[in-house]
Amino acid sequence: MGLGFVVGVFGVLILAHAAYSTIQYRGLLKIMEEEFSGPPINVVAELLLGLALCMWAALTVPGKFLSIHPDSEENRIVSLPANLDFMIFNHRGKVFPPEMNLKLKH
Amino acid sequence: MAGNGVSGASGKKSSDMNDLPTFSAEKLQSNMKVIYYSRTFLSIIGGVIAGILGFTGLTGFILYFLVMAVTSVGLIAKARFSVHSYFDCWNRVILDGFVSGLMSFVLFWTFAYDIVHIF
Repeated sequence: MGLGFVVGVFGVLILAHAAYSTIQYRGLLKIMEEEFSGPPINVVAELLLGLALCMWAALTVPGKFLSIHPDSEENRIVSLPANLDFMIFNHRGKVFPPEMNLKLKH
Repeated sequence: MAGNGVSGASGKKSSDMNDLPTFSAEKLQSNMKVIYYSRTFLSIIGGVIAGILGFTGLTGFILYFLVMAVTSVGLIAKARFSVHSYFDCWNRVILDGFVSGLMSFVLFWTFAYDIVHIF
């Protein structure tokens, strides 16, 4: 989260620098009395770099995707809850054959 | 249900034909929030870029659709291409946040264009 944030801020700073260069370029064009047809090539390269950095930051900073299936690996609720006094294990389930692949997770 | 196997403490195996696919709604909502933040931030960045480049008219919207398409691909890659284990349908990854992002895009596009080209 920290690294993604720094990368995002860096991308925004690069974009701000590109904006400033374009403002100066336009001032130069006004002096030379030419039309603005497009920013210089280094500004375009800077914009692409800033876009790439911001895109990477936007995909990593907001957080991970959580699995929505109730029976996926990370959603298992096998840890024993605190209200053990209310749980009974002496019920009819003991006639079922036991599953051998129960995994414990803390 | 005696013939349908064991349901231990590890989770229920639903082998019914009439079973509705269930999912955890709060996790889905958290995933939607992640998508919303990503799209909004990238719409703003796309708007600033369109303003700096001096796009006026249709070209800017083409840039917006391009940025949104790349965002969709990025989100699908972030979900490791198994969209159905994080969302319930494809439309959520591809289309959600499109229109709200469009408004943020136009706002920052005009903002950046004014700052860079007019003042």
